[in-house]
Amino acid sequence: MKNIYLKKGLVALTSAALVATFAVVVPSVARAAEPTCSVAPLALYNVANVTTCTGVDEKGSKYEIRMPKNFNGTLFLYSHGIRKPVNLPPIPVVAPAGYVVDYSPEVAPSAEVATSLLKQGFALAGAGVQAQGWNLTEQTYAALLLNQEAQRQFPKISKVVAWGNSLGALTSQTLAEQYPGVVDAVGNMCPSDSGLAEITMAGDFLWGLKTFFDPRIKATGYSEGTAGYLEMLGDIQLTLGVLVALKTAITIDPLAPKWPTTSGVPVAYQGIPVRSAVLLLGLISGISTQSMTYDSASGPAGADETTFGLILSPALAVLENGAEAAILAIVANYDMEIRAGGVVFDNSKTDYSVRLGDDGDVYAGALSGKTFTGYLLSILKASPRVTANAAAVAKFKQMYDLQGKLTVPTINLAATADHITPPGATTHLLDLYDAQVAKTKAGVEGGSQAGLVTTIWNKPSDTYSIFKDGKPVTPTIWPNGTGHCNYTTSQILLVAKMLAASAKSGKSPSALTVKAAIKKDTNLFVDPDYRAPLLKYRQ
Amino acid sequence: MIRNTRMKRISIVSAVAVAGAMVLSTLPAQAADPGLTSTEIKLGLSSPQTGLAAASYGKLPKAMKAYFDYINANGGVYGRKIKLVARDDRYLPQQAATQTTKLVLEDEVFALVGALGTATHTKAYAAAQLAKKNVPDLFVNSGFSKFGDKTKYPTTFMILPSYAMEAKIISKFIADTPTLRPQASFLIAQDDEFGEDGVKGFVLGGHKFTAPATLYPQGGLSSALAEGALTSLGKLPGNPVLVLMGTTDTTATILKAAEKLDLTTKFNWIVGSVGGDATTLKALGVKSTTIDGIKAASFFPDAKDTTDEYVKQFMIINTKYNKGVAFDNVVLQGMNSAMLTVQALRAAGKNLTRTGLIKAIEDKGSTFASAGLTSLNYSATSRVGYNGYWFGQLNAQGELKPYGGTRKIYTTDSTTVDVPVPLPDTYKRKPIPKNGIPTN
Repeated sequence: MKNIYLKKGLVALTSAALVATFAVVVPSVARAAEPTCSVAPLALYNVANVTTCTGVDEKGSKYEIRMPKNFNGTLFLYSHGIRKPVNLPPIPVVAPAGYVVDYSPEVAPSAEVATSLLKQGFALAGAGVQAQGWNLTEQTYAALLLNQEAQRQFPKISKVVAWGNSLGALTSQTLAEQYPGVVDAVGNMCPSDSGLAEITMAGDFLWGLKTFFDPRIKATGYSEGTAGYLEMLGDIQLTLGVLVALKTAITIDPLAPKWPTTSGVPVAYQGIPVRSAVLLLGLISGISTQSMTYDSASGPAGADETTFGLILSPALAVLENGAEAAILAIVANYDMEIRAGGVVFDNSKTDYSVRLGDDGDVYAGALSGKTFTGYLLSILKASPRVTANAAAVAKFKQMYDLQGKLTVPTINLAATADHITPPGATTHLLDLYDAQVAKTKAGVEGGSQAGLVTTIWNKPSDTYSIFKDGKPVTPTIWPNGTGHCNYTTSQILLVAKMLAASAKSGKSPSALTVKAAIKKDTNLFVDPDYRAPLLKYRQ
Repeated sequence: MIRNTRMKRISIVSAVAVAGAMVLSTLPAQAADPGLTSTEIKLGLSSPQTGLAAASYGKLPKAMKAYFDYINANGGVYGRKIKLVARDDRYLPQQAATQTTKLVLEDEVFALVGALGTATHTKAYAAAQLAKKNVPDLFVNSGFSKFGDKTKYPTTFMILPSYAMEAKIISKFIADTPTLRPQASFLIAQDDEFGEDGVKGFVLGGHKFTAPATLYPQGGLSSALAEGALTSLGKLPGNPVLVLMGTTDTTATILKAAEKLDLTTKFNWIVGSVGGDATTLKALGVKSTTIDGIKAASFFPDAKDTTDEYVKQFMIINTKYNKGVAFDNVVLQGMNSAMLTVQALRAAGKNLTRTGLIKAIEDKGSTFASAGLTSLNYSATSRVGYNGYWFGQLNAQGELKPYGGTRKIYTTDSTTVDVPVPLPDTYKRKPIPKNGIPTN
């Protein structure tokens, strides 16, 4: 149990370093210009005779179009996932080498995928949006403009597939809903839910860390300007400190780890194993109990096998997943508050007992029993809550909310253990779509036709935790089915193939067709009835 | 002893009428439900076959399969053979979710039977979308009263009485027993829905323990903690009543702590049916002399009682179709559930559908022949199986003999303060079908 994964050590951050790194990010002046196009063998994608066009749209977003010589008529219009909106100094876990905001265009989920699609004759396009962070509005518009530009440059484009990862998937779906007729098929991979739903998940976990383990964490309500930036970085530092302290405590005594010294929880309650408090935070916020290292389904061979899988593994998975979720919460919250002009996270009325729901029964042992669970919930109940700024929330809600109004074939690919964009986001889209189909069946105008959506679920292997000498070993790469947007190239290409066919036929592949196509991939399944649990925000 | 399969149970009934599911049965001819052919009915079971819990529950799948093999050898159900696909969940919720989903999606079973465990099945039921897929979920081995909520678990049928029922009947037993009534009394229970239901049952039953219950999380009772608890209780005068409501492994931990402290005769032990399986206690190292005299509740005949016609018949089947496996409470439980399943399938008729199977149990399940010593309580509004217990005392051989020499069976519910009532003298358990082969 000494290999509990929580990437390495914590490097102290100095104020000087923070200030030196701080930079106000100003997008370039908006102006559309003719793109620069060239034909050359591409070293990156290793595909010869690809015409590459680069340019900047009228809003200042960079874009790139790659057109192969053997073009088959279909363009894949890609939207990338969320990127950090601010520069960061070197920070362990978060940005070990520091981070400078990335505005580069991205035409596909990976170079491998791009290579394969170009070789098959598909054109690719993608933008690097001028405003990073939770940029749904800007990214959707950038995709719209890029689509227009691509078709202007290459009139032979006959079909367009909009696809994306994470926030980019939300972008693709938004593009299709807001601008019907613009695209012919949509591919949503690891789709994100709405900003408020996502920040509720990550924010609940971060607020829980603050409440249980370090009240100095600010979590919300960052100041304006440099002060707010420093507060945000300070939160990252404090949160990493908490995570390292938790990791250390569990390493020393997995069954009865002690609470961090920074905790403000009354000492009387600190007799509860702190791993149970960590697990509780994961369960109430909806963070997966399966992570890179811990499958919640196995343990080291021997007498402790069942105990490990039942009692320890779920908590360790939450800790491992929660490290990223908490940091995401800090950066995303900071970004959203700036965008909206105030606090958007709100747990003023949240009943965390209700949030726990049946998980209180499922994980009763790992939570150290119902009595202790009740104590922990009572702490959360009695702790100061966060009330959002109504105007800020209203402003945030001006961003498009999905309606489920599908007009073209749509294929979702969602992982059941995704800890950043949980699969419930896909369920939400499916539920919305079902309602639109029901409207149509009821004779109400404006609904959707049935049969337009297919969802492929990506799951981890039954067991994947590795043990050596009785201790868990963190793998070098995330096991398929865990992690965020952690799909294999072949899985992505399978989706791309089906999207291209759907764009041409106007039909989504049937469950039987997909089942046949994925039968050799034990990490994928298709089931029209399957619905992953919704994000807690929507339960 | 039986209830004794240390499996968790249920209770509580919801009174919501099923409507949606019924509609299906009125539809015109349609594709057959999964898991059915003209020659086969495929059923699924997720339970622990390996890992810590396998020591207690590992015999369940083979016992059920043995009974189904016996039925298959005698013509099956309306000509169809029953195939049981048993998957190993190792008593882990995540694995139960995975294996149950596989049973439904990959194995394409027609129905689930005998799923075991509260935490495991709570997660599995939701993950495998059993409600949405209308997969019959028969005779779940859990005492979790929520499984009786037809709104939330519309396809589930319980079989075990609830912990609350058991606690109420233990309350009455203590109150009615002159040697126990004046003693101080204490409860040591597992701190999950098991202990929660149990504590609630004692409150409903009007029994006040001398001190608040000692609750421990599943997997959290070490030998040191058990010894600490017993040491302090051992200093009390008299022979305190000590009620243990937990899984067999923790019961064994406590009893072995008593052995170490030489306190086995100090207490009047009452062991809950879930943790009182003598065979397993012995296998876990508890001495026969310690087991001798422990009081326990059961809703089944004792698995060693060869005068019982069900036990006798199941033993015959076990000898032929489950070779080399010793007949005990778990085997009895498994075969009984399998026999109920066959009756349910028959009651659903030749044109078998999932909806038809659920309705058949609602309509006729209370009339099925069963080894249980109380009636089954299935109806259009109730998903509760057994609802009563009798009290017995284990001897050194691990046999549960009626306390006081005569078996008195009490029935009750999980939610009211109504005092448990003796089963009427007029109640007669339905005889086992000839040769153990249902013909309903």
